[in-house]
Amino acid sequence: MKPVDLAKKLRREAAFEPAVLDRGKAALMAAIRQEVQPRRRPTIIPRLPYENVGAALSFLERAFGFREVAAARGVRADGAIDYTMVEFGDGMIGLGAQGAHGAFSPKRAGTASQYITVHVDDIDAHHQRAVASGAEVVSRLHDHLRDYRVYEALDPEGHRWRFLQWLREVPQSERR
Amino acid sequence: MDSPSDAEAIGRSLDEPEAFGLLYDRHAATVLRFLGRRVGADAAEALLGELFRIAFERRKTFDAARETALPWLYGIGSNLLLKHRRAEARRLRASARMAAADHAADRRTSAAASDARVLFPRVADAIDSLPDAERAALLLFAWEELPYESVAEALELPIGTVRSRLNRARARLRELLEPNGKGRDISR
Repeated sequence: MKPVDLAKKLRREAAFEPAVLDRGKAALMAAIRQEVQPRRRPTIIPRLPYENVGAALSFLERAFGFREVAAARGVRADGAIDYTMVEFGDGMIGLGAQGAHGAFSPKRAGTASQYITVHVDDIDAHHQRAVASGAEVVSRLHDHLRDYRVYEALDPEGHRWRFLQWLREVPQSERR
Repeated sequence: MDSPSDAEAIGRSLDEPEAFGLLYDRHAATVLRFLGRRVGADAAEALLGELFRIAFERRKTFDAARETALPWLYGIGSNLLLKHRRAEARRLRASARMAAADHAADRRTSAAASDARVLFPRVADAIDSLPDAERAALLLFAWEELPYESVAEALELPIGTVRSRLNRARARLRELLEPNGKGRDISR
């Protein structure tokens, strides 16, 4: 007998319970639904106006480690990014072309009307990366009252970002 | 469209992930039987879930020019089975015992029975000791009865490589089945 025919003699069906396929389908669909469930978005999302949204996005990703929410991107007819969103931890911020919604970039307005606090896990590494990427540090990295370590930096259009890391365990409710 | 092709269903599942369920409806039974032959019912059930989740995650890489996704699923399954070598070896030995018993019952001659008791365990050992890549190709061909083209698609190999791999597997089986090495002289 030929080797392949001998091998065929060892082919044997396994005995399955009838419900196996249905169980498998239910598990697969549950896994698929869970996988594609969009992240819950925060209920408050500030939006920052920029003269050049594309340049701002690439700076924020490079210098501060934010990640674009790709599905949020809107593009103008000329290919420039009109608006998008970035996320970091469980926070989210929108970036949009200035002029819309009556908001203007500090670069044009000459002044910023707010600053944004971002909590990070490793402030020294974050600071190093930001400096290396050309962020303008306007408040040097320092410890504040042994509570937290903090620095502030401007992005290319003058929005002010405050990064901090708590130095001891502080309940969420007591943080500032 | 009443009945989209596998490629169309996968394409659609990029935007509507639940459309991937159609692939399961179409192929899960075939894939489950394949896994069952190799590792038995319990391990096969667990592997079936893993296989389809991997397929779902990799659905972007499916070659849309292919008519059916079945060889692609066989390929993912063949890789997964590598982690279950012990279950596979166990099942082969059990199948050998049953094949020997069947054979003996058929012939009802003590000579045939004792031959079969020796022969089938040797076949099982021989299959078990093939290199992974050759065993995968041989069993897709011999047990699943896939044509060379589908084995090639499943294992992502050129068809010529599948041919030479199967020839090597045949030669090695022949060799392993002839303990004195006589098998080497049997012409193809």
